Parts: sequence; C-alpha cells; structure tokens
Amino acid sequence: MLANRKLILAHFWLAFAVFGVALTLGAWQMFIRSPIGTWLSNPELYYRSLTAHGTVMGYVFPTLVAMGFGYAISESALEQRLVGVRWAWAGFWLIVAGSVMAVIPVALGRASVLYTFYPPLIGSPFYYIGVVLVVVGSWIWVALMSINLRVWRKAHPGAPVPLAMFANVAGSYLWAWTAVGAALELLLQIIPVAVGLKATIDAGLARVFFSWTLHAIVYFWLMPTYIAYYTIVPRAIGGRVYSDTMARISFILFLVVAMPIGMHHTFADPQVGAGFKFIHSAFTALVALPTLLTVFTICASVEIAARLRGGRGMFGWIGALPWDNPMMLALAFSFVMLGFGGAGGLINMSYQLDTSIHNTQWITGHFHLIFGGAIVIMYFAIAYDLWPHLTGRELIDVRMIRIQLWLWFAGMIVTTFPWHWVGILGMPRRMAYFDFADSAIAPQALSVTFSAIGGFILLISGLLFLLILARGMRSPATEAGPYRFSLAVHQPVTVPLALNTHALWVTLMIALTVTNYGYPILTLALSQGTSVPAVYVGAQ
Amino acid sequence: MSARDLFTFRNRHFSLGVGLTAAILVVTAIAGFIVLPFAQPWVQFANVWDAICSAAGVPQRAPSVDLTPDKRLSAVVLTSRTLPRPNQEAIGRGATLAQRCAICHGPTGISRADSPNLAGQYSAVIYKELHDFRSGARTNAVMTPFAVNLTDQEIADLSNYYAYLPRLPAYHPTPQLPKPNIVIYGAPMRGIAPCGSCHGSLDNKTGSPWLEGQSETYLKAQLQAFATSERRNDISQQMRNIARAMTPQEIDEAAAYYASQPPDVVKAVD
Amino acid sequence: MSAEDTHGSAGVAARVERRWATIAVIIIVVMALLAAFAGIHRATMPQPRVETTDPSRIHLSGEFVEANLGSVLEANGVTVRAIGQQYSFTPACILVPVDTPITLRATSADVVHGILIQGTNVNTMLVPGYISEQLMRFARIGDYLMPCQEFCSFGHEGMWGKVRVIDKADFAARAKDGGRLSCVGQ
Repeated sequence: MLANRKLILAHFWLAFAVFGVALTLGAWQMFIRSPIGTWLSNPELYYRSLTAHGTVMGYVFPTLVAMGFGYAISESALEQRLVGVRWAWAGFWLIVAGSVMAVIPVALGRASVLYTFYPPLIGSPFYYIGVVLVVVGSWIWVALMSINLRVWRKAHPGAPVPLAMFANVAGSYLWAWTAVGAALELLLQIIPVAVGLKATIDAGLARVFFSWTLHAIVYFWLMPTYIAYYTIVPRAIGGRVYSDTMARISFILFLVVAMPIGMHHTFADPQVGAGFKFIHSAFTALVALPTLLTVFTICASVEIAARLRGGRGMFGWIGALPWDNPMMLALAFSFVMLGFGGAGGLINMSYQLDTSIHNTQWITGHFHLIFGGAIVIMYFAIAYDLWPHLTGRELIDVRMIRIQLWLWFAGMIVTTFPWHWVGILGMPRRMAYFDFADSAIAPQALSVTFSAIGGFILLISGLLFLLILARGMRSPATEAGPYRFSLAVHQPVTVPLALNTHALWVTLMIALTVTNYGYPILTLALSQGTSVPAVYVGAQ
Repeated sequence: MSARDLFTFRNRHFSLGVGLTAAILVVTAIAGFIVLPFAQPWVQFANVWDAICSAAGVPQRAPSVDLTPDKRLSAVVLTSRTLPRPNQEAIGRGATLAQRCAICHGPTGISRADSPNLAGQYSAVIYKELHDFRSGARTNAVMTPFAVNLTDQEIADLSNYYAYLPRLPAYHPTPQLPKPNIVIYGAPMRGIAPCGSCHGSLDNKTGSPWLEGQSETYLKAQLQAFATSERRNDISQQMRNIARAMTPQEIDEAAAYYASQPPDVVKAVD
Repeated sequence: MSAEDTHGSAGVAARVERRWATIAVIIIVVMALLAAFAGIHRATMPQPRVETTDPSRIHLSGEFVEANLGSVLEANGVTVRAIGQQYSFTPACILVPVDTPITLRATSADVVHGILIQGTNVNTMLVPGYISEQLMRFARIGDYLMPCQEFCSFGHEGMWGKVRVIDKADFAARAKDGGRLSCVGQ
C-alpha cells in the first residue's frame, strides 16, 4: 500500500514540471541554432539556456523520478510504511532549495558554464552550491532506502528481498558513490575558486573527477527504467519475469561496472595516461553485458505473456502481444531506442572509433536517444502505471496516452538520427549558431532542420504527457488496489546471500574505483604546476 | 546473514565475483601498460618502467626549447588575478601620475583628439599596454617615451586609477549607428567570434579593452595594424587572427559602430 | 504442473540463460580485441605520454612561443605546433603536406578547447596545463575545417580554424628556409 502518496506525488510533479520547462528550452535551442532559426544577437542566451537544460535534465529531473519511484517501491514492494518520512521531506525541500539556488544565477547569465562545469571557466558560486544541495538532498534518499531495507530485513530474516527493492537500493548505492566524483570536484576545486579563496584550478584533474560521475550517472538515470522493465512490464502485460536470478545479476553488474569506466569520456584528453584509457575502455565494454542480459530476459518475459495470450510460432507470438497497452508500447519503443543507442554506445566505447565522433553532435544525439528516448519513455510509463495508485483516480484516456508515447518515439527518432549523422560529418557541439550558408557545412543544414522539427514533436509529446497527468488528477475516483510488481516464473524461495545483499558488490564497486581512478587522481592532485588561472564567466 | 559468510572464498559468489574482476583487471592492465605501449612502433620507450609510467600518465615536463624571444611580442603574463585589488592610496598615486597623460588622454580620461579614452577602462588593459609600450612590444612615437621610464608600481597605480574613473561619453559624440553583422555575429567560418564575447558587452577576455566611444580613426588604425601584423603585442596572435580575417569594409563598420556607442552597455569585471 | 515439471523447466531456463550469457560475453570480447587490433594497425592510439606546461606563460618560453607555432619539416615527418585560446587557433590556418606522417602538438592558453578536423579522425581536447599530441596523416589534398569542439565560453561558436593539405613537393619547397609554415593570410 502506498501510505505516503503526497510525498511521492510531490517528487513526481516537481520532476515533471521542471522537465516541461527544460524540454521547452531544449526545443528552443534546437530551433534557434538550426537553419530555420535566426542567429542570436546574444549567443550567451543559448549557453544560458543550455546550462539550464542540462542542469535540470541531468541532475534534477531524473533524481526526483528515482527518488519518488524509490519511495513508492519501498512502500509497496516491502509492504511497510516508509521509515523516516520527515527526512524524506527534508531531502525533497533540499532539492527544491538547491534547484532554485542554482537556477537563479543561471537565469541571470551568471553561470553559463554548462552543466558539465568546465573549469577553469568559473561562474557564480551559488550555481555550484545549489547543485551540491540537490545532491545532498538525494543522499538523504539513499540513506532512507538503505534504512528501510534494513528495517524490513529485521522483520523478515533470511527472506528474499523483493526484486524491485533489491534493484532500487542497488541504484541508490550506485548514485551515492558516483555522485562523489562531481562532489569532490565542486567542493575541493571549483567552489573554493568561485568564492575567491583560490585563483587557480587543475582543469585536467577536474575533468577526471567529473568523468567519475558523468558516466555512471547514466546508469543511475537508467535504474528506474530497468526496474520497470523487470518488475512492472511483465505484470502490466500479463506475463512473468523469466528469471529472478538473472535480473539480480544484471543489477549487480551495473553496480560493479558502471562506475570504473568513466574515463572513456576523457579518451581525447591529454592528462590521462593511455594505459588507464585502455582499462576503462575494456570495462566499458563489460557494461554492455547487463544490458544484453536484460534484453534477453525481458524478451523472454514478454514472450511468456504472448504465449499465455495464445501466441504461437517462432515469431507469431509477437502479434499476440497487447499492443494497445501503453506499457507494451513504451517497452517496445524503449527497446528500439536502447538498441540504436546501445550500438552507438559501443562505438563511443572504443578509442579508435570515438576519435571520429568525439565531442561532435553524434554524442549529443547518442545520449538524447538513450536518456531522452529509452529511459525517459519508461519514466512516462512508470508515471502512467503509478498514477491511479497515487491519486486514487483512473487515467481514462488510454488513446491519448498511446498518442503521447508514439509522438515521443517518433520525435526522438526524428531528432536524434540526423543528429548522429551530422556528428559523423564533424559538426561540433554546443555552438550557438552555424553558418549554414557556407558551402563547407551547407550539406548539414537539412539534417539539422529535421532535428529541430523532431524537437518540436518532442515538445508537443511532453506537454501532452503533463496534460494527461493533470487531467488524471480530476478524473473520477477509483480504487486501484495495492500496487504490485511482476512475479517471476519461478518465484525465489531462498536467494543466495550474495544475491540478496549489496555489501559484496558495493565493496567491489569501491575497490574498482580505487584501482581505476586512484592513481590518475592522486598523480594529478600531487603534481605541481598543473593548476591554471581561473577564467570568470559572464563578467561577475 | 553475516559478513563472514559473505566475504569468504567459500562463498561461490565472492570467489567468482572477486576472481573475475581481478582477472579482468590484471589482463587489461598488462595489455594497457605493457603490451600496447610496445606494440606501437612509432613510440620509443627507454625500458618497461618508462612504458608503464607513461601509460599510467605520470606527468612529464615538456622538453625545453631554446628560442630567442621576439622583442616585438608581449611578455606580459595576464590572468584574472594579475592586478592586486585597488585601494584608495594606489588610485591617488595613479591620479598624480596621470596628470602627464592628460594632454592626450584628457583630464577626465576622455580624449579630445584621437587618442584612446581611458576613463573606466579595464585595469588589466592599461596594465598590459603600458608594459608592452615599456618593453617595446608596442611602439608609438608619443607614447613610448612616457612609458619607458615607468616602474611596475607606477603602471599598476595608473591602471587602477583609470579603471576607477567613471565611464563618460566620448568628447565628440556621433549619432548612434546600428550594430553591423560583424559586431553582432562575427563570422564563424572565418573564425571570428562576436566582438562582444571578448570586448565587454557579452563578456571580457582579460586584457581585451571595451571599445564603446573610442575614436573611429584610432580603432580603424589598430584593426589595420593587427591585420597587417604591424602591431603584434596581442598574445599569441589573439587579435591578429581576427583582424586578418576581417574585410576592409567590416573594419570600417566595426570602427564606426564602436565610436558611436555610449559606454553604458559595457559589463564590469571582477 | 507437477513439482518435477517445474524443476525441469527451471533447468531449461537456466541452460538457455547460460548460453545467452556466453554469447554476450563472446560479443564483448571480440569487440574489445577488434578495437585493440584496429588501434595498433591503424595507428590510432591515445597519446603515449602526459606532458605539462604553464598556460599563462606559453608565449614566453618553451615550444609554444609564437615564433615556433606552425608546421616544420623534420627528418621523420612534419611537426605542427598550435595553440587554442579564446577564440581562435594559432596558427588559424595549418599547412601540411599530403601523405606524410604528421605529429600535432597543441595546448590551450586559457580554458578547455578542442581540435576536430572535419572529415578525418583527428580529434583531441586541449586542456590548459597539458600538452596534447596526436598523429595524423592526410590522404587528400584540400581544405579542411577545424572547429573548436568544446564549449570555451560565449565566443565558442566563432572558433573555427582551417587545415590546408598541399602537395608534398610544394610543401618541401616552402619549408626550405627552415621556418614555421602556416597558411595564414593566404
């Protein structure tokens, strides 16, 4: 039962409200730098918008979704009231305060440094402190997830932890540790310079710290989506999870190998040794493993649903799937986008292929397809699935939901495919405008125009999503019953200790961070004369 | 459940997890630190240790190159903290020194001729140009004799004094002109960023002056001097790169535009 | 469904899973080997050393002083030295010969920039304080665009350089005097 509906709803509503704002900014950015827009007389406005878009979409929106969903999982999967509700609200309000604090200097043009910070560029200290507050707020959630699981374990000694909660806590630990990289960068390097205590900063070290966060954060964003794949989709379409064990192993693999791979973001950087680049590249290849396992398990789970519905034949069962069910639709779209995005990721992973697309529009296309596409479409599905349980009201207009999902999928494809293409042509990222009249880049104009149109389709879909949720708050009341998760074909009776607890895997995660990051960070931190003068942005 | 049952090699998951992770780590480390460095025929390592250290990323100072520095290039090191924070005393000393500058640059820092206006100019700009005049990196028949005898302290005081003066409109104001494209947008494909991204209306690159209200003749002469490399005290060609790519017409437009502007659009710097 | 059936189906499931996991592992290992192989045989490997420099003083001494920027013909190929700064590359137009091994050495004078040569896989970050080195070789004569690929503040959109690849003999003729070559102003 969901006892703290208000808490969960507050997280979701805030998440989707800021998502709507950031989505609008994103669509504007696509438009203004495309051939159909006119060049900005103040390019800073573009970078300002980009900073806001990235900060909200990267730090605030997915964190709030993971938190709200996490509280819902804790209450419904464990079937116990959330312990520490006051702390949960404190975490929520910290995020609100942090977001406001960060967004004000950004809106004033005092922190147009992009969400990736890029020291030695330095903006207003309030921006960075705001981001830190958001992270601290989310750490409260991490602690609460751990505590709630502990309380449940005390009451159920030796019992298998429900898969949803096991994965949820794994995701929270992953986030707690991955956020440390950026936190160190902010607290030890950037904020002292931003408030004027120091005047120099090691830009190379900062990039290494940030890579610690920037890659694994993607897997934190991904967690709710994967939890939905395993624990919501099979139930919603009338199937079963093919294998509970495989699911646990996938989440464990994410926990262990999502972290020590971030340096593939610094393949082209001069401050990281080639040996560490190779190790990170190899581990990045490994992270494809849990995704491949997931694809298999979920396809098998879906097949079970189809066969239960009378599906026959080698591929004939696909037709027997409940395609009018939004969850089915979302899953299919998500998998298609995950497939393309994942293939792109395999290209980014290898040093040799990465050199032809590093920091081009390909990269932007890639993470929009993975995050904005495969991940966020499942956030929508989660919200649709949870909404009746949170509001006590049914989402009546299923047709509208289907249209929304279709639009998001179509919009994402139309946006990101041409985006990848112009990346291959060498179009650099993060420029406020391009001179498409020049014959050298004129061939990119058409692709960029398509991307911009895709951006507007996404905007329409996003607004439709908000509309559906808002209308859902006023539809007739219904008793949705307890919120349930999928059952496995073979529900676990006993689970080996290692697959029922996180300690071993968290230890491995930290150990791998030490081996893969320890030396590069230490040498850079201790080497003399690599700190460079700060460059203050936007005329403080 | 206890940690002892979990963290023991009797636990299959522990031995498998730790063993596999360690194995992958060892194999990739050997490949990354030893095999791959030596597999690249185009790189020479002294020995295995050198290969390992290089692959690990031990920072090395670049080999020093002996080149006689060019007298005509700026030797100023500029960062956002080059100048100490001004105090009243420094500004006072600067005011006294500035009396000899007033003939050309005006008693209020606004020139009545075609010399640059200095009132409210960024201190780093005056600091850098005076140093360059003193070292000979920038030359001017009138200015050089004044600059050669200045001490470091005097240069800093003058910079602080002029930065402190209120920004005033030009002595011969002209009707405001509309912003030409070259100023608003630059010309991306020719490598020209919007002027304001360095010169104050969008942001200030340390050492770049704000230009509003300066003499048109002066601006044009400087742009042309940069374009022909007659003036070379811009560190590492930062302005020559831009001026060279501008057309003569764009130089005219930019100079006329900035000369016609009031100084109030310029952002302050920290 | 009897208990035995359940047991049997669980066994089937486990076997299928294991097979799939094996296939997944093989896919990954093959890809990693492919990357290593390509790296060695196509000479695209990360720079072998980490080298440091002081960005605010690069114009005073060392290899990135103005007189040393540009292309120089050496015994085993061409070395190009360049810097990135807000908001231009120096030299703004890099001149190199075709079909020649070229070593690009570059750094940043202020913030993080990047060098990307369109239509090639030359792509490196310029991080202030560190020197980037990359090997390159151009198979085709012509002009290439070289935008800055990393956000470097508000003038980033205007930071585009050029690379001009010319005939070998032509380059050798220009390099006779031993100076640093570029195609700036041509």
